[in-house]
Amino acid sequence: MKPMLSTDLNAADTTVEKAKIEVKNLNFYYGQSKALKDINLSLPERSVTAFIGPSGCGKSTLLRVLNRIYELYPKQSAEGQVLLDGKNILDRSQDLNLLRTKIGMVFQKPTPFPMSIYENIAFGVRLYEKISKAEMDGRVEQALKRAALWNEVKDKLNASGLSLSGGQQQRLCIARTVAVKPEVILLDEPASALDPLSTAKIEELIDELQADYTIVIVTHNMQQAARVSRQTAFMYLGELVEFDRTEKIFTSPREKRTQDYITGRFG
Amino acid sequence: MAEHTVASFDEDLRQISRLINDMGDLASSMVGASTRALLETDNAMAQRVVSDDAIMDARQRELDDRAITLIAKRQPMADDLRNVVGSIRMAGDLERIGDLAKNIAKRVGSVGVSAAPRDLTHSIDSMAQLVLIQVQAVIQEYTVGDATALAKLRNDDERIDVKYTSVFRELLTYMMEDPRNITACTHLLFCAKNLERIGDHVTNIAENAYYVLTGTQLPANRPKQDETTMSAPAA
Repeated sequence: MKPMLSTDLNAADTTVEKAKIEVKNLNFYYGQSKALKDINLSLPERSVTAFIGPSGCGKSTLLRVLNRIYELYPKQSAEGQVLLDGKNILDRSQDLNLLRTKIGMVFQKPTPFPMSIYENIAFGVRLYEKISKAEMDGRVEQALKRAALWNEVKDKLNASGLSLSGGQQQRLCIARTVAVKPEVILLDEPASALDPLSTAKIEELIDELQADYTIVIVTHNMQQAARVSRQTAFMYLGELVEFDRTEKIFTSPREKRTQDYITGRFG
Repeated sequence: MAEHTVASFDEDLRQISRLINDMGDLASSMVGASTRALLETDNAMAQRVVSDDAIMDARQRELDDRAITLIAKRQPMADDLRNVVGSIRMAGDLERIGDLAKNIAKRVGSVGVSAAPRDLTHSIDSMAQLVLIQVQAVIQEYTVGDATALAKLRNDDERIDVKYTSVFRELLTYMMEDPRNITACTHLLFCAKNLERIGDHVTNIAENAYYVLTGTQLPANRPKQDETTMSAPAA
């Protein structure tokens, strides 16, 4: 049984639960420019954490550090520690493929592979596991059900992933992420290109997935952060300004900069 | 406080603040006028209070409409959210203060025509002064944003409760002395109770205003001094 968080909205209380990811003294550089400044925060296991802040504040950069996807690009470097279950993933000895099976990511624009719905999911699984056709069928079905897409696609699994609507494509990407059994799911603006109904489905999905996964979501939509997350981090100019329970952040934040941003008084 | 990027948002919030101020002014004037009408048996003034209540109700409806529309359109957050929700609640208390003042005003005729001695009304007069000061102060402190003053003001309600207890006992004594006083004293007792209830609504407003300004709630317990239940029949 998980320890209960305090219901006192005035208590800065995000440390009671077991931390899945702990970020310690993290700095990040794009070439010479420092994009993240001494970030420290602890993401509790099996709950949703939202990163909010204006464009260029570093929230997506922080997300991209969590699975080291930034290393795909030259001249980007991180220093400090990011502990996944106590183990530093920034360590050189970290196996990146293994890391990315543990920490899945879904991007702003749906990115289905140009192949069938079935293959979109099976492809990733095959990279890491050797399983029979029957097992794979089960895995695909399970992943599509987990992503609340099964009922809509079960009769056309061989159709192209690109034939789906934007919202369905995004849920397909979530299914693809879930299929490789990650522990953490990173969502970078997962609903910003979707209509309100598809957005609601994604939010419902996030709500269900948090029972099994640690979820981190970057969003520009403040109401969305307020709806889906349990704790919220507000970032500005590469700094973590405030990190607290979501209710606290959106009803009475401690920092004036947070207040100015979420009430629309910025700049 | 800095302006919102969307200027019309500020204008929407200003209109809600203006309505709270208007309702606060109206509440003060209704409480003052109703007690003056009572003490001076001024039926015309009492009638004005009764008709002012319709204005109060209309203001509250307007505020509700604007607040609901603002929430739908702007999805306010943090201090803006507390401000809008707090305003709806404060408007509810101000509207109730208007109702209670109207109730006092409606009793002016009944008290006036009876043979009650004038000195019956002295204690009510000093209680009314206390209440009026509280009603005026609460909106003023909210407008200037003085949370400390609001916390103190909420505790000051105790003085009204003490006063009410003493008025209650005094009126009881008059009634026992001479049964011909009973009609007038009963009406005055209701008036005193109304004033005491107005004090409670001021307390609610102070608590709401404190929360709007600070984001934290005042502690739940406040000293309570209404002892009339000890000697009064069960209501």
